[in-house]
Amino acid sequence: MKTFEYDSPETLEETFSLLGPDGEGATRPLAGGTDLLTLMKADIVSPDRLVNLKRLGELPSGIKETGDGVTLGALTTLTEIERSPLLRRRCPALTEAASLAATPQLRNMATIGGNLLQRPRCWYYRNSLFHCWLKGGDDCPACDGQNQYHALFGGGPCYAVHPSDLAPALLALDAEVILKSRNGERRVSLSEFFALPEEGRRTETTIREGELVTALRIPPHPEGTRSTYLKAMDRKVWAFALVGVAAAVRLEGKRIEEVRLVLNGVAPVPWRVREAEGELIGSEVGGELFTHVSETALKGARPLEHNAYKIPLLKTLIRRALETLTETEVPSG
Amino acid sequence: MIMDTQTKPEYRVIGTRPVRPDGVDKVTGRAVYGADVQLPRMAFGKILRSPFAHSRIRNIDTSKAEALPGVLAVMTSRDMPEASATMDLGEGGEQDMSHASANVMAHGKALYQGHAVAAVAATSPYIAEEALRLIDVGYEMLDPVMDVHAAMKPDAPLLHPALFTETAGEKAAQPSNVASHTILEEGNIEEGFAGAAVVVEREFDTATVHQGYIEPHAATAEWKADGQLTVWCSTQGTFAVRSQCAEILRHPVSQIKVVPTEIGGGFGGKISVYLEPVAAILSRKTGRPVQIVMDRADVLMGTGPTPGGHLIVKMGADRDGNLVAAQATLAYEAGAYPGSPVGAGATCIFAPYRIPNARVDGYDVVVNKPKSNAYRAPGATIAAFAAETVIDEMCEQLGMDPLEFRRKNSAQEGDKRIGGPPYARIGHLECVEAALASEHYRTPLEKEGPGGKRRGRGVASGYWGNWDGTSSCTGRLNPDGTVSLLEGSTDIGGSRASIAMQFAEAFGIDYEQVHPAVVDTDTVGYNDVTGGSRTTFGTGFAAIQLAERMQRDIAAHLAELWEVAPESVTVENGVYSADGQRATLAEAAKLLSSRGRHVAASITAKGQNKSGAFAVHIADVEVDPETGKVDVIRYTDVQDAGKAIHPSYVEGQMSGGVAQGIGWALNEEYVYDDAGALRNPTLLDYRMPTALDVPDIHNIIVEVPNPGHPYGVRGVGEVPIVPPPAAIANAIHDAVGVRLTDLPMSPSRVWKAIYAP
Repeated sequence: MKTFEYDSPETLEETFSLLGPDGEGATRPLAGGTDLLTLMKADIVSPDRLVNLKRLGELPSGIKETGDGVTLGALTTLTEIERSPLLRRRCPALTEAASLAATPQLRNMATIGGNLLQRPRCWYYRNSLFHCWLKGGDDCPACDGQNQYHALFGGGPCYAVHPSDLAPALLALDAEVILKSRNGERRVSLSEFFALPEEGRRTETTIREGELVTALRIPPHPEGTRSTYLKAMDRKVWAFALVGVAAAVRLEGKRIEEVRLVLNGVAPVPWRVREAEGELIGSEVGGELFTHVSETALKGARPLEHNAYKIPLLKTLIRRALETLTETEVPSG
Repeated sequence: MIMDTQTKPEYRVIGTRPVRPDGVDKVTGRAVYGADVQLPRMAFGKILRSPFAHSRIRNIDTSKAEALPGVLAVMTSRDMPEASATMDLGEGGEQDMSHASANVMAHGKALYQGHAVAAVAATSPYIAEEALRLIDVGYEMLDPVMDVHAAMKPDAPLLHPALFTETAGEKAAQPSNVASHTILEEGNIEEGFAGAAVVVEREFDTATVHQGYIEPHAATAEWKADGQLTVWCSTQGTFAVRSQCAEILRHPVSQIKVVPTEIGGGFGGKISVYLEPVAAILSRKTGRPVQIVMDRADVLMGTGPTPGGHLIVKMGADRDGNLVAAQATLAYEAGAYPGSPVGAGATCIFAPYRIPNARVDGYDVVVNKPKSNAYRAPGATIAAFAAETVIDEMCEQLGMDPLEFRRKNSAQEGDKRIGGPPYARIGHLECVEAALASEHYRTPLEKEGPGGKRRGRGVASGYWGNWDGTSSCTGRLNPDGTVSLLEGSTDIGGSRASIAMQFAEAFGIDYEQVHPAVVDTDTVGYNDVTGGSRTTFGTGFAAIQLAERMQRDIAAHLAELWEVAPESVTVENGVYSADGQRATLAEAAKLLSSRGRHVAASITAKGQNKSGAFAVHIADVEVDPETGKVDVIRYTDVQDAGKAIHPSYVEGQMSGGVAQGIGWALNEEYVYDDAGALRNPTLLDYRMPTALDVPDIHNIIVEVPNPGHPYGVRGVGEVPIVPPPAAIANAIHDAVGVRLTDLPMSPSRVWKAIYAP
């Protein structure tokens, strides 16, 4: 790990000045540090300076319900999310995702802002011996390498998968991100916040240089909206998802009125399957519906040499998630 | 839980469960481990490792690193003396010291990713790390050979051009990656199989796995101006470190002192030296003490995991279920240098059974992976995985209960394991009977789990030979009637307690009156490594002899003071008496010290009458057929301990072996890409089981005393890792009807076995 300077400002203004105009690439904001420090120790990123965000009184903190939904400050830890009775009631997919992420020790440190910005767990990206495309190299060694944990969708030039358990849950809950820079505040939906890496932007998000994630907002959902997150792992805990499925469903009687279905561990960003959602909306629960929908969801999958096992695994998880959410009817009217 | 199999002698100390002497320091964080050592002016070393699996080192330019402020010295293999011939390492057998030296730092060729090629000492570990980046190594890339299939091909690239296959002392004419071919034979297998009604033959492939000790390797060395070298390290054997350092450094053994720290696990992986000679050379070059601490990637890439291999097993039984013939071909990956545990695998594979005709062919094969090392019953676990699953399939075809089959075919006293002498009294049959009688086996398993999951039950046996070796102890009687007991066996699993208990029993005092300490190589007689399940057995032997010697010495002193004939002094339960005179040990100690008489003695004992350990395990699993995920939901392990000196620590060994076996069975593997680069050198990606992956383990200790030990002890530490992968594989078959032949049985492999066989 390269030696670095450390600053701990108390105001946003000072923070933005440290991040510098257009955010000097060698200065990185530090929150929980559970990803950044790992990257630094592995020599994947080597900033000259870290700017601690944890002393910023101006950042919104905690989990609050307003008329406009639920707001989560960027520094909210995964443990706080996991234990929030409000979120457990309103957004079970999110508390389930938080409780399945990492380990209790990591969840005590990791923040939701950092969770959305964490880099892939691809074992080529994380290995300093490989100068892969995502790190500025020419190609992706996973594409024809050991790719059992890699992408089925959206692959090329990068085939890594997004590591966050909470991001797909937040997408299923239609959340938006609040970003601040010295130029002011902007709000973007999570579906725009995440974007496949491309030539000019070798990252998984559209956050701009000099910007900080300050909060997340989950809009109010109509009564009867249910959500869940299912995760397949090689062992019981402390593993990134082999695959995951986040789903939010609103039923009327047996009819599905509204649904968002997001897959995890399948693409460089959390992967929403809109065609499958389309088949569900307006359909009555029952028969072979969920089997058909899981087929549709995986229709466009392009497996690599070692990861085809993810396809049946996802179909199972999609079916189980939808069955769990629709087991009981919602009384109509 | 302890099963009584026969009437036992009464003991005062043995069989009780006192607190271990090192317990308080460990639970309060005071115990000093390898990386806790701090010396004045200490410098910090780091090691540069080869990024490539197979290469020739053309040149190493260290000038830029040497110029970095804070860097004190840089070393490469040019700083190492030419290594000597071979050396006896004890448990690991004979070691070619030129290979050991080259494994510590690559000479000419770098033979695996992670092979050390250079090292730096600096005033801080961060500067040392930065300096590594400034070392320029010119590598000429060679084709890697990553498994036994590739390595045994006739046209395979050769790791060592001068390696010729040795078969029964004969060397082959052409060089090869096969270092040796071992053949063990009993009876005539052709005749045996001709008489079989049922024959099952299967092939197996298993992955490289690591011991996974929690404490990474750490060594600190100080080479003083007069040539005295002191090494502090976390090791299973201080004397093994001393002799390896002497050979690799070509330095007189008398000038090397090795000081053991507490050790956070070893399991066989902390016998060979990796850091110690490097720290020593850096210390000589800098004139300062130098400490090197590995990180987890160093441990996974640069130490000695246990090998994967390719195994073929064929077994036959007659219509009544009597085993008539068995054959195995074992090809184990030695790693970069010869020395896999294939020989041990060959002797263990059929050991629980009486088989008239058997043959095992074992191949020790070099590949471009780290030099393999011992791991808890080295070589036996994957051998048992193969044989015990083949037996399960035979039982299925014969329609026999797998434990009844084992009862029928169990080896007993006088039977002979392949390549071995006839057994003395052994306890496999008693383990099978205890398993049959266990509540677990007598309780039927509900085959349907929640959510479409399927449940199954499997059993497997295991054997490990155990080792005796040589141990020493020194005892000193203190004026207050306590005894200071100096041991040279580093304590991994509670051996300070188990040795002190045997001393206390033999000496006739309470456990609390014995103060054991593990000391350095200058302070106690020779000790072989803590390995081979030998310490409670072998060092216990030394402690018992020491107690007898000290009793004689005390009696002799008392005889002089009491003015009686020495032979008239008798000792019973720690009370000395003669002709109406009487002294408890405390009284005797006070009397002797007040008269200027001090009692101390040392014993060096060659262990003898070692006896093998057997285990029978029962596993219940729950399989999700739609995801392939296997959960172990209930586990019982039955094991013959001979005599459990401290039953809690025996149970700890048993549970620990099962936990490691569950990881080996279901998740753990080194994943290499085609170029030979390890993809998962972190504990996030190399998946050991967590507490939630291991069920509550029910331990049943069977005690069939070893007739060759004063208290009946057999080794207990290793055999519990032998049966788990086989028991779990058999349980998976019972649950979902498929036979897994590759380890680990990860969700994707299980899913494929069900849906895409």
